[in-house]
Amino acid sequence: MARAINMLEAINEALSQEMTRDDRVFILGEDIGLSGGVFKVTDGLLDKFGEDRVLDTPLAEGIIIAAAIGSAMMGLRPVPEIQFADFITPAVEQIVQQASKLRYRSAGGYSCPITVRICCGAGGGSGLYHSQENATWFVHEPGLKVVMPSNPYDAKGMLLAAIRDPDPVLFFEHKSLYRQTKSDVPDGDYTVPIGPAVVRREGRDMTILTYGFMTHMSLNAAEQMSKRGVECEVVEIRTLAPIDKETILNSVRKTSKCLIVHEDKKTMGFGAELAAILSEEAFDDLDGPILRVTGPDVPAIPFSPNLDKAWQVNPEKIMAGIEKLAAY
Amino acid sequence: MASKSNRAVMEPETEKAAHSAELLLGLYKMLVKCRMCDEKARILFRQGKYKGNFYSGVGQEATEVGTSYSLREDDWIAPSHRDWTSNIVKGAPLKYCFAQLFAKVTSPDRGRSSPAHMGYPSLHVITPASSIAGQLNVGTGVALGIKKLGQDAVVVAYFGDGATSFGGFHEALNFAGVHKLPVIYVNQNNLWAESVPLRLQTALTNLSDRAKAYGFPGISIDGNDILAVYEAAQTAIARARAGEGPTLLECKTYRWYGHSEIDPAKYRMKEEVEAWKKRDPVAAFEKLLIEKKLLTEAAKKDIATRTTAEIDEAVEFAEQSPYPDASELTDHIWA
Repeated sequence: MARAINMLEAINEALSQEMTRDDRVFILGEDIGLSGGVFKVTDGLLDKFGEDRVLDTPLAEGIIIAAAIGSAMMGLRPVPEIQFADFITPAVEQIVQQASKLRYRSAGGYSCPITVRICCGAGGGSGLYHSQENATWFVHEPGLKVVMPSNPYDAKGMLLAAIRDPDPVLFFEHKSLYRQTKSDVPDGDYTVPIGPAVVRREGRDMTILTYGFMTHMSLNAAEQMSKRGVECEVVEIRTLAPIDKETILNSVRKTSKCLIVHEDKKTMGFGAELAAILSEEAFDDLDGPILRVTGPDVPAIPFSPNLDKAWQVNPEKIMAGIEKLAAY
Repeated sequence: MASKSNRAVMEPETEKAAHSAELLLGLYKMLVKCRMCDEKARILFRQGKYKGNFYSGVGQEATEVGTSYSLREDDWIAPSHRDWTSNIVKGAPLKYCFAQLFAKVTSPDRGRSSPAHMGYPSLHVITPASSIAGQLNVGTGVALGIKKLGQDAVVVAYFGDGATSFGGFHEALNFAGVHKLPVIYVNQNNLWAESVPLRLQTALTNLSDRAKAYGFPGISIDGNDILAVYEAAQTAIARARAGEGPTLLECKTYRWYGHSEIDPAKYRMKEEVEAWKKRDPVAAFEKLLIEKKLLTEAAKKDIATRTTAEIDEAVEFAEQSPYPDASELTDHIWA
């Protein structure tokens, strides 16, 4: 039976149900147990499952991930948490040099079925070090799967798929989506496959490729532009790695134009990769340049509210991009 | 808890009573095998038989043999770049160890990993990355898994003096201390981290002092005294199996050769190298066994001859093995 819950509840439910279903699953991270997580995502799990399966760790992202990697090699299914994407950097050694390469360097002798939950993204004026969205760093590492759902239904289904995946999955949770969105989520077991992108809105005039929180911003912009006679198709790329080229190419071949929207910075952002793919594989289908509306190339989101606002990727900026591309 | 053992000279009677002839000879044969394999690996590299590099552990054999000789099948080893021979101690057939050097398809990782960075999944030797202290971290994670599954297996993790400066070292040991994980952290302190001497690496003299910071025992021993190493390791392994937690075992030792085969190690004084060569762990044990009449000159020669033949056969297998096909490049990225 489906009922409307928010993303936070959906993730909590996925963890709770999977830990009930599968003894091998356990969670670990800073503040996830006694406190239930700084956003309350893991609330209630310590009471339900005990210290053996809900582990409050020392303040050391490297060993949080390494403990997960080693446990996974023993056949367990750990789900470590990185409290903020801004603090994933100490764990990059383990994620990039160990997790992504373990299967490859051992020719399949070892594998690393971990799911790393990471809270990312701008929201609530959190400033330089509680707002970063750096999923793209990891898309660059073959051997890692990278996902970022935009709604509660996908969040529960993809988290379950991630935990059951035999390879390492980085599961990015955008903090602005924890409570903001509700969708109908089945209370039972289901999965949403890792990989396929999804067409959120059909349209004939151009394709908007987007992900994460920007999915909502893009849909908002598309609705507003529809009133001006421009129909945008919005394709949400839920899985950043591996990229679902088929869905993307099908859409762009249909509309002949592509606008890429992402919150993360412009240079070397995910849009750069998408643009390269389209240029390589859809050149003959394009009637205009591949444009990007993204976060600005600044080191981090500054704290002062007016600077934060100046930084934001909002529907107005997206609409300006749509207009520019529509003119071709 | 420091124990500087000098048993080989001081307590001969106790030794004979404490250890069976079978164990003593087994340790000796394994020392000889590691020594001869390592020297062979060096020769093969210098003959251009394989590319890349080799990180010789000649001089340090007792630190590996003493700690891993009596491990069970389900126990784990987390090696670093200088621990190619730890695969041999764990029971890896020599032919696959040499195939590893040559990066042939018959190596445990089908030629993916660098020559000395060898792991062996079915023997629970973790295929290492080159990242210093990386194996400590992954090995600590394995120990967490062991504890969660209610097993009494242990993890023996090897690393040098340089690794003890790395942040990940501290994270791993701290975590293991909190959770009383079954890890024996074997610090092979050979006084040099590539070309950086110990005095520039740490303010400590005894690296086992670090264990205090993590709430578990640290012991410094003569890493070239095979029985001292063996006995300290047995204590640490028993502790770990009983759920009492980790031990930091600092084995003071020395590598005879450079950091790698392309490093002439000119930064070290000849006198220092010669002094340590006189403390050869293999020769010292040989001398002891001969004194105890557990080994004769004839038996010693026989062991050397047999080991040479075994190695020659293994090298032949490695030389005859094919390289992996180029089409394998993109295999094993995903399940």
